[in-house]
Amino acid sequence: RSPYAHATIKGIDASEALKVPGVLAVVTGKDLEGYKLHWMPTLAGDMQMVLPTDTVMYQSQEVAAVIASSKYAAADGAAAVLVDYEPLEVIVDPHRALDEGAMVLRPDRGPDKQTNRIWHWESGDRAAADAAMEASEVRVTEDIYIPRIHVASIETCGCVADWDPVRQQLTLHITSQAPHAIRTVLALVAAGAGLPISEQNIRVKTHDIGGGFGGKVPVYPGYVLAVAASFLIGKPVKWIEDRSENLQADSFARDYHITAELGATKDGKIQSLKVKTIADHGYSDAAADPSKFPAGLFNVITGSYDFDKAFVEVDGVYTNKPPGGVAYRCSFRVTEAVHAIERMVDILAHEIGKDPAQLRMENFIRKDQFPYKTPTGWEYDSGDYAPALQKALDMIDYAGLRKEQLEKRERGELMGIGISSFTEIVGAGPSHDFDILGLKMFDSCEIRVHPTGKVLARIGVQTQGQGHETTFAQIIAEELGFPVGDIKIEYGDTDTAPYGLGTYASRSTPVAGAAAAMASRKIKEKARHLAAHLLEASADDLEWTNGRWSVKGSPDRFKTIQEIAFAAYTNHPQGMEAGLEAVNYYDPPNLTFPFGSYICVVDIDKATGVVSVRRFVAVDDCGNIINPMIVDGQIHGGLTMGLAPALYEAITYDENGNNLAGTFMDYLLPTALETPAWELEKTVTPSPHHPIGAKGVGESATVGAPPAIANAVVNALWHLGVRNIDIPITPQKVWAILHDKGIA
Amino acid sequence: MKFAGTVDIAAPRDKVWAFVIDPNQVGQCGPGVESIEVIDATHFKATAKVGIGFISARFVVNMEMAELVAPDRALIKAHGQAPGSAVDATAEMTLSDGPAGGTTMDWSADVAIAGSLASLGARLIEGTANKMIGQTFTCMKSTLEA
Repeated sequence: RSPYAHATIKGIDASEALKVPGVLAVVTGKDLEGYKLHWMPTLAGDMQMVLPTDTVMYQSQEVAAVIASSKYAAADGAAAVLVDYEPLEVIVDPHRALDEGAMVLRPDRGPDKQTNRIWHWESGDRAAADAAMEASEVRVTEDIYIPRIHVASIETCGCVADWDPVRQQLTLHITSQAPHAIRTVLALVAAGAGLPISEQNIRVKTHDIGGGFGGKVPVYPGYVLAVAASFLIGKPVKWIEDRSENLQADSFARDYHITAELGATKDGKIQSLKVKTIADHGYSDAAADPSKFPAGLFNVITGSYDFDKAFVEVDGVYTNKPPGGVAYRCSFRVTEAVHAIERMVDILAHEIGKDPAQLRMENFIRKDQFPYKTPTGWEYDSGDYAPALQKALDMIDYAGLRKEQLEKRERGELMGIGISSFTEIVGAGPSHDFDILGLKMFDSCEIRVHPTGKVLARIGVQTQGQGHETTFAQIIAEELGFPVGDIKIEYGDTDTAPYGLGTYASRSTPVAGAAAAMASRKIKEKARHLAAHLLEASADDLEWTNGRWSVKGSPDRFKTIQEIAFAAYTNHPQGMEAGLEAVNYYDPPNLTFPFGSYICVVDIDKATGVVSVRRFVAVDDCGNIINPMIVDGQIHGGLTMGLAPALYEAITYDENGNNLAGTFMDYLLPTALETPAWELEKTVTPSPHHPIGAKGVGESATVGAPPAIANAVVNALWHLGVRNIDIPITPQKVWAILHDKGIA
Repeated sequence: MKFAGTVDIAAPRDKVWAFVIDPNQVGQCGPGVESIEVIDATHFKATAKVGIGFISARFVVNMEMAELVAPDRALIKAHGQAPGSAVDATAEMTLSDGPAGGTTMDWSADVAIAGSLASLGARLIEGTANKMIGQTFTCMKSTLEA
């Protein structure tokens, strides 16, 4: 891997490496170039190097691949590869990348794209938002940076590529959130390289995955190299990252430099929003955003509030950092949006001297306004924001806390209360707007009912530990009346599972969950005709209750779904196909919009600047809940992953582009010691368009938690003249402020 | 990273000068130096093992005496590489007459470390560098003053 963040490769000498016992081959970018395999497409439609031929673009980029009979031989071999570098100017700051005359980092792009601006994207009506802003009595502006962070899943990325030269079959065992997409990308890359590997002969198997969180959606160079190496030597080849490689070179998340301006009346009626953002994508845009949305769903930034006018613009920028822009447990840039709007609303409240809870209550989109069209074009399906916030206020005794805070402030103690009333946007997505590399973002479920009344269901999404086996079995059980234990859920084998786009962006339940319900309903409908045949009744005269079709008015004349299943294979009527199976590819008519209100109480140690989260109340509304324990588990994990960037995690670089967060000593994950006891509650506002009214919950907490914590810290320090502190709010940052104010 | 300092050496200037421009002599004082190969009068190559925290790497360093003004001033440029790490440094040294017939050496160095040593050892790098510089001068003093 490259020691330099930007350098010309003058030569690579692998001769010593090839002498290391156990080393079978060394592959360089020049070797791959012959097969046109040195570059590959990213899911965002940009190009990324598999291995560089002449220029390295970030520190720790792969430069050569050593294939060896053991990991030790491979490590010795990699250390023996001599690379001659000529260092180049390094661009770390994305603002500098946009300077006039800045070095163009990606000259490989077309002649009309000789700039470090990857794309410009905007949403809303600029002129109307400008005019509304001009007319606002109160305007608050803030620069908010959401730092680069990493999903840091416990299992790093890796795969075993197994090319069988006899059967001409490639099996890829891989830790991926989107196995079908990987299969298709591999097929396209292989076709481009002229390799005899076609899609029906590629089998991608994911097995159990040790955490995904968005980091296992992209295609990494290691995957392509493992496949190429297996093809080269005709044996299975394993590639696995170590922890530092994972932290330094995998797709990052966030890295948004946001400038937001919010306009309101002087008594706090919010009216207009303008947002300008620079998105640092590293040297390649390897986000997994849908094609039409290079900045993801960032324009959900009007949040839970009834804005009249809004305008959002984002510039994607190249720098000498690893590629990425993945959605870390966040439905495509929603975390960034929610953080910005929730911080801005809080700043407004503090600025005009209004209680932040009251200001939110007065500005929420009202229940009777749904379905609600936002000024940036989304149609929120359903919501009822005030009761969720009220429930959180009641749980935490908000009035009592504010009283305590005043008393403590008198005594010079620092305590803060922060609120976040977020709206999420998940369940991508409707095929007219949502695709990744052209693949529409439907998802699927195939159900087979066996003669003995047992069920095998296969889904196009991929669990990473969030309990798909339970949730999907419950959906089918609820629809068809089978006991949950009689239903087996399979996923993650592209030879058997129906095509799907995978699990990320909280899309499993909203999309594949809907497919499971719709496939069940197809089976239920066929079962009705089978029951009619068995009961010698008209199908129109039957009614469905508790897993059985019975004759209307004669509840003792019925057939259970198990009896019907047996008949489907033993006694089906003439003219009807045997069997009881169905498949559904669900194309959602809209996204779903879960929401919630979180309240956080923090105490700040004046001497050290350490922020302690004393209490954290989370009221979530994810529509109809399928499994309460799984939902609570998702919220617990999500809140902890929201606490992490709020107080601890950030990937930083020195001026030479060296990654300074390459170990868990430097990249701080919260442990059980830092994590408070989360207090959870729910409200239920079903999605009107989803077959079972569910909305998705995997990411609400990650999205909603950081601003609640940041708002609490700023609330504790506002009287000292503090308006904003960028996350992570480390003891050093707080101490420096307190020191500056003469307190610490 | 920039480093600078002043050292008084109880030895005459000519002796100090002769020592510092001789790779074989001054090289012995570099911490972790395993071998030194003189390429020509102004170019030499050293192999040195450097450890920072839990990371250690064997660097091959190419050095050039870019400017030599005897017995006053020397400018040395170095480029070293190890698997996954690299170092580029410029060091300047000025000699002047010191107290009691000795020599005063003013030195400064600008060091850029890249790769895993910089990335994984960032927290420890400055302390380690200071320690290594200290060791170098202690060795030089003790050899020259002996």
